[in-house]
Amino acid sequence: MATTKLGFIVQRPGYKSENPKLALTHAIASQSVEIYLDDDDEVLCDVAFIGEGVLNCIKDQKALDNYQFNSTESHVKMALLCDLNVLVCKEDLEKFGMSESDIVLNAEEMGGDMDVKVVPYEEITKMMEEVNHLLFF
Amino acid sequence: MGKLTIGCFASLVGSTNLDFAVKLAGAALDKGHKVDLWVSGNGTMLSLEKQRAFKDYSYLEKPVKELMEKGLNVTACEACAEARGYHDDNTLEGVKRFSMDWYLGSTFDADRVLHIGGE
Amino acid sequence: MKLAVFVSDYKMTVDTLERLKPEKMGIILVQNGVYHASVKENGNASSILDSSADLYALKEDLETRGIDPANVDSKVKVVTFGDVVDLMFNDYEKTAWL
Repeated sequence: MATTKLGFIVQRPGYKSENPKLALTHAIASQSVEIYLDDDDEVLCDVAFIGEGVLNCIKDQKALDNYQFNSTESHVKMALLCDLNVLVCKEDLEKFGMSESDIVLNAEEMGGDMDVKVVPYEEITKMMEEVNHLLFF
Repeated sequence: MGKLTIGCFASLVGSTNLDFAVKLAGAALDKGHKVDLWVSGNGTMLSLEKQRAFKDYSYLEKPVKELMEKGLNVTACEACAEARGYHDDNTLEGVKRFSMDWYLGSTFDADRVLHIGGE
Repeated sequence: MKLAVFVSDYKMTVDTLERLKPEKMGIILVQNGVYHASVKENGNASSILDSSADLYALKEDLETRGIDPANVDSKVKVVTFGDVVDLMFNDYEKTAWL
């Protein structure tokens, strides 16, 4: 059994660019990657929001109402529903004067168990060291 | 020799990042490496056939066809392509279309992965 | 002149590059990044050149922009696409495109 770990690092805000959303949808695709792998092999994805990327996590986004497509917030919730490890940089949130109360933290209303983890940048660095490959968005 | 997976989400013509990805793929093939190129987002434009060559615009259809003959494996994100009106019947011959898990599957056994995001 | 300016982007001052602290780092200047290798602002070279990382600039992207590879800062090694492939496979384990 072999595992490849990928780190998706989102460093830009969304909407003007679809990249943050694509980071999430690609990471979520780890749910079905097994069709390309041998039995018991797996690809695991961690997602980290840093810099302006933390702005993707602001809650109550109204993309669906205003632009008729799913919000980045809803993709974060989907990632949590899929049990992905989602990290948000604590220092960068604080730089924007934000705290956990300003961001999406869980997908409880959809039955999800995983929470977003607000962590020091040091933890994100640790994740970047541990994964096999990095993908910056 | 090893395997390189390149993911590129940059626009065809609108950004030379996609040209960079194609040139890098070519250089890696020349060195004997296996190369997968995944295009998603605006990068799916690369999967369109009948691109016209103009002096004022970068043109990748011919270089991509030549590299595919040398073994470059080009796959486009089907959802991103369809959202943009790119269908099976206007896809460049040789370019495959799959869902996003294909990219992850490609990285599984890649020795190196270079992800070039979009604009 | 009466000018309405649409500001469509937001950029914080924190630079991802500055926050990366691997045990070994190579900075490969490509696309518009090659300007770091030769352009000076108010007489000052790019702060990227002060990095302790190994610095490289892609020859094709320098030439495309009219920059003579012979004129890049001496701290920067000019490389080809083939060299970049070798660097990726032989010198570094992971990549980040910023």
